[in-house]
Amino acid sequence: MGAMTVDRADGRSVNQLRPLACSRNILHRAHGSARWSQGDTIVLAAVYGPKAGTKKGENPEKASIEVIWKPKTGQIGKLEKEYEMILKRTLQSICLMTIHPNTTTSIIVQVFGDDGALLPCAINASCAALVDAGIPLKHLAVAICCGFTEGGSVILDPTKAEEQKIQAFAYLVFPNSPLSVLPSAPSAEVDGPIENGIITSVTHGVMPVVDYFNCLERGRAACAKISEFHRRSLESQVPGDLTKAT
Amino acid sequence: MPHHKLAAGIPCRICSLPFALPRSSAPTRSVPKETLTSEMNAETSDAPPTSLVDRTVVPGDTVLDLTAMASQTIKLGAGLRQDCDTISVMKAGKLRLSKPNKYWVESSHKRYVPCVEDTVLGIVVDCKPDNFLVDIKAPTLAFLPVLAFEGGTRRNIPKFEIGTLLYVRVVKANNSMNPELSCVDETGKASEFGQLKDGYMFETSTGLSRMLLSSPTCPVLEALGKSLSYEIAVGLNGRVWVNASSPSTVILVSNAIMNSESLSGVQQKIMVEKLMQRLQ
Repeated sequence: MGAMTVDRADGRSVNQLRPLACSRNILHRAHGSARWSQGDTIVLAAVYGPKAGTKKGENPEKASIEVIWKPKTGQIGKLEKEYEMILKRTLQSICLMTIHPNTTTSIIVQVFGDDGALLPCAINASCAALVDAGIPLKHLAVAICCGFTEGGSVILDPTKAEEQKIQAFAYLVFPNSPLSVLPSAPSAEVDGPIENGIITSVTHGVMPVVDYFNCLERGRAACAKISEFHRRSLESQVPGDLTKAT
Repeated sequence: MPHHKLAAGIPCRICSLPFALPRSSAPTRSVPKETLTSEMNAETSDAPPTSLVDRTVVPGDTVLDLTAMASQTIKLGAGLRQDCDTISVMKAGKLRLSKPNKYWVESSHKRYVPCVEDTVLGIVVDCKPDNFLVDIKAPTLAFLPVLAFEGGTRRNIPKFEIGTLLYVRVVKANNSMNPELSCVDETGKASEFGQLKDGYMFETSTGLSRMLLSSPTCPVLEALGKSLSYEIAVGLNGRVWVNASSPSTVILVSNAIMNSESLSGVQQKIMVEKLMQRLQ
């Protein structure tokens, strides 16, 4: 594919993300909270739990998760229900559901600003809030939006104006890149960019299969950067070592 | 005793005994490893080449490779789980190691995970014929048997109303059952457990509670004790109860403790001095 430089309205290159900001423990009453912003898309997630008891249809041998999505304006409709369902399935796959059986964890997502890539921003905020609340997780979930333009190039983290113009886009959620004391697996290159797996993929519009795999590659590489940002923001919030051995 | 490699697993034993550490941390949970039967004493072996101890770890990080640690007993504390041949992290925090073999993740949250032998502050939410239901900020309510008091018989069951604050000890804590509490220590004496009357209770994080209970005495408590007289009960579940002769003293002590979470020892002393000056 010829390298087509796409002119983006805010002057970013095709692989450049908007500035990320994350702050934790902002709500006094919530057990865990985080505010995640990517440019002008800002989402606040609050986690309450685990609390005793499960809902009627849920399996009492496992913990259950409920998600409430609150849009910035307007009433709750089908789109919000769809977001809730996608968020619930994504978070169910990263939480360890067997640690606290017969409990419910509630996650409330409040949209402060929507300028494109809203669902990935909400997933990142919810994951940060779950970490802040101390819910046991298998690994973190890192989400990104990849757009596929008519010219055939893949742009990352499109704004709302760009989302309306492009041919197709995909929300992709990957597990984070972990630190490990194990020697790295030699088959990392053989498996390609998806060696750690993919958690969620939601696509809108029509794009060729080859370009979808191209999106996955770019998204995976960008998620490594977001994962690094997530780790650094956790490091800076660990309180001082007053309990260290003197 | 012959050291035999078992067919499916690795010759390494994960111990499930609870342990109490001088400062932070909670006792271990049991880690089932069905392939291990050999009774080997712990032999010290080399630590893994790169170690994540004393570094911030994030859920998903692998901190120990069990294939490299043959015939060792390892004790796991809060925030770690066994994932086939590795130990990985469940909660974000700082990884700690107490030589020779105890690992845990130190983190501070608003909720509490009950562990045996912890002392906590609970609030009564209901009275049943056999148990009091007590809220200790855990995923499930805890049970306090009506007979778990010094000299407790069916005739002198204490009458706790809903909302009573109690200083209790955790006796049983499994993830799948409600935790069980007691108002007596191991020997059967009451020893300060029971209802806390008067005073003021506020909620903080578990990390601050551990800091207040650390030894030597936490700087903020020492600085306050130099000029004020107060009594305090700290629960490992993030609840603190303060009592003093005058309300202004109670407010000053509570504010000093709540402000001291992110300060170093010297900063805490300075903060307490500033508060004392405003009182005079």
